[in-house]
Amino acid sequence: MLESFADFFQQFAQENPRWNFIFFYEEKQAGKIWTGLKYTVWLSIACVIFSVIIGVIGAWLQGSNQRIARAVVQGYIQLFRNTPPFVQLLFFYFALGAFTPTYSPDGWLEVPIISNVGWAIISLSFFAGAFNVEIFRAGIEAVPHSTQEASESLGMSRLQTYRYVVLPLALRVSLPALNNNLVNLVKTTTQAFAIAVPELLYQCVTIWNDYPSAQYPAMLLMFVVYIGMVGILVFGMSRWERALRIPGYGK
Amino acid sequence: MKKTTAALTIASLLGSTVAAVAEQCTNETWNKIQERGTIVVGVKADTKPWGFRGENGDLIGMEADMAKEVADTLGVELELVGVQSSNRMQFLEGGRIDLMIATMSDRTDRREIVGVVGPNYYSSGTNIMAPKALGIDEWSDLEGKPVCGKQGAFYNQIIEDRYGAQIVAFTGNAEAKQALRDRKCIAWVYDDSVIAADLASGNFDDFEMPLTSEDDNPWGLAVPIAERNCVFGRFMSGMQYNWHQSGDLIALEEKWGIQATAYLQRENERFKDWLAE
Amino acid sequence: MTTHSNQNRFAVLKPIDTTRRMSYDPMTLSRSLGSLPVWTPFAALAVAAIWPQIVYAQTATGVDPIGALWRWAPFLITKGFLFNILISFLCLLLGTLGGLAIGLGQISHVKPLRWLCWGITQLFRNSPWLVLLFIVMLALPFELTIFGNTFFFPAWIKAVIGLSLPIIANISEIVRGAVASVPTTQWEAAESLAMTRRQAMWRIILPQCFKRMIPPWMNWYAILTMATPLVSILGVEEVVNLTRQAIEAEDNLPELLAPFYGFVLILFFIYCYPIARLTLRLERRFAVKL
Repeated sequence: MLESFADFFQQFAQENPRWNFIFFYEEKQAGKIWTGLKYTVWLSIACVIFSVIIGVIGAWLQGSNQRIARAVVQGYIQLFRNTPPFVQLLFFYFALGAFTPTYSPDGWLEVPIISNVGWAIISLSFFAGAFNVEIFRAGIEAVPHSTQEASESLGMSRLQTYRYVVLPLALRVSLPALNNNLVNLVKTTTQAFAIAVPELLYQCVTIWNDYPSAQYPAMLLMFVVYIGMVGILVFGMSRWERALRIPGYGK
Repeated sequence: MKKTTAALTIASLLGSTVAAVAEQCTNETWNKIQERGTIVVGVKADTKPWGFRGENGDLIGMEADMAKEVADTLGVELELVGVQSSNRMQFLEGGRIDLMIATMSDRTDRREIVGVVGPNYYSSGTNIMAPKALGIDEWSDLEGKPVCGKQGAFYNQIIEDRYGAQIVAFTGNAEAKQALRDRKCIAWVYDDSVIAADLASGNFDDFEMPLTSEDDNPWGLAVPIAERNCVFGRFMSGMQYNWHQSGDLIALEEKWGIQATAYLQRENERFKDWLAE
Repeated sequence: MTTHSNQNRFAVLKPIDTTRRMSYDPMTLSRSLGSLPVWTPFAALAVAAIWPQIVYAQTATGVDPIGALWRWAPFLITKGFLFNILISFLCLLLGTLGGLAIGLGQISHVKPLRWLCWGITQLFRNSPWLVLLFIVMLALPFELTIFGNTFFFPAWIKAVIGLSLPIIANISEIVRGAVASVPTTQWEAAESLAMTRRQAMWRIILPQCFKRMIPPWMNWYAILTMATPLVSILGVEEVVNLTRQAIEAEDNLPELLAPFYGFVLILFFIYCYPIARLTLRLERRFAVKL
């Protein structure tokens, strides 16, 4: 069955020279696509998780009594929101990348503790995290002060109040905005191409550079995969939104 | 088997284009240049010292100088346009430029798109720039190691397949070299002449070009494909012949601080005027 | 509105302040940019001037980044950044015209048209910009012959088309949202004046929407402007690409990376900042209660 699948596309490529689905019948190219898919998914998941963590911590620090902590968070938000993520990536990788600690397997090659994939995750997480902080803050502000007072009167600490009362409520309020931001983040992972992260876009570009005849098929595949990924994400998120909706609110 | 078929198809395609072209010469671009009184030449803007931007942003370099000579010979004004590897052929195809002198390796598939005319004005092979500290002396030393390169270079895949290097391809050379400096890869794979020029610039003192160049590939300048066998193409052939014979290219190489290539010496010998003593 | 403070008293029963915006705020970029104090662009300029000095002092390798930047700045701005602005304007023009058409299509009463426009909007809203750029760049021919006239598409025109696709989709959503936000009574009132749907749309509804659409529309302009460096990946000679070339011409010294790219960041910031301020001001002024 699989053999005939490969044969079909090989045949197809011979009949249609511009539609060479090379990654369906040549193992090496298929491997590239798989690696690309793996990296794209991995990059997306890691960035989503880290950016949410950054958002939660940042929003907590913003409500802190310490002026310095608030100022630092504010500075971080402004910096990351108001500059193009594409240039941020270049900056992180080239400007900061030189200062990361490294280990060396052969005397020259200094394998940085943080690879380019690592930098992409950090850079993109911080970029999306900056938006998440604001989103969570808006959610936290929506939780009335009296609710927090009530939990304090039950003897909860600030952290406990945040963890058990404020955050769960705030999360539900911020979900729509959060989802939109996360979808945006997944789309932005393609820009890791600029620092040679071997994600799907990078692999597809490599394939059509090596085999110009595979250009249209690779583009088609790329488009379908991204639309599919974003579609699954949007669907999952809206399901989650519905499941977490606070009864009696919203439409 | 598949490869042979592909080669045959390409060859037959090529053959048919040549035949078709030879039949009719409209000399459209050639006439346009005369009418306008300006020739538009595409040169590189990011490959020092062949084509790059001078202090005030103007394009200068060895290939810009060659373009100037073409314009002077024609008696027209020169307009330079910065092109990149990814768009140089389309610029020529689309008529944005009349002539392309842009460090392009002369490959079969490229000849199908643009009119490359001989004799090739330059040549370079594939080599690597690597830190002296590593003492790499065999291509096979690259096996399994990350090697920085540039997206779209035809030898990326060759190096990967032949020596098992892991190519990390960036969008530009600046990034690739920066990554090498930051020790994110053990070498940067590119044209040997470009690497030699970088080494000569004094900014890469801890680096060397340790291997024997592979896949030596002449560079081709190109006119629109329809005019390859017409006035423009023949004229450019003549220009290149004269450059080689007079030693102008060797002089230009020296002027721009490029390490002398054996190729230019060889061509200079080959085209020597038999009556000159 | 008056019961709002009363609601809050029963906080445990009604834990959420419902007056808060509960959906995604599409204006985040303008809001954060525009909420910065007035002195920030000037401070940014000052940093641009001082930063290279600091870098220079640290490395002391005989390179003068500020001198290099000073030499290149006029070129980078006039040939590079202004080109980014041109690209952004053209994208906005295309995006607005296309977005208006598709957005109105989304609220059409003709079902297939509505579905088609909805599909286009969702497709382009949900695909990564870079993927769209690549596809337009490579799939679109370099020249197109229509009725014997040959049109030449230089790379940057294709980049404009590629970048305007997501703008079309998002402006289409703005149009749809704005029309939906006009109370139904307005439609009914127009109907009672014997207006056709088209008349009601163009003479009653759209003029009211117009003001509402301006702030999000300008917000998308800021986002778009910040996305223009992406086209550098495709070889268009805009500011990031020329910066790369300038660094190459200055022998690729690593000391130059931070000042040069930092300069580019600041250019974008200084340009987008007044736009964001204006957007917020217009939003406040246009916040009409119907």
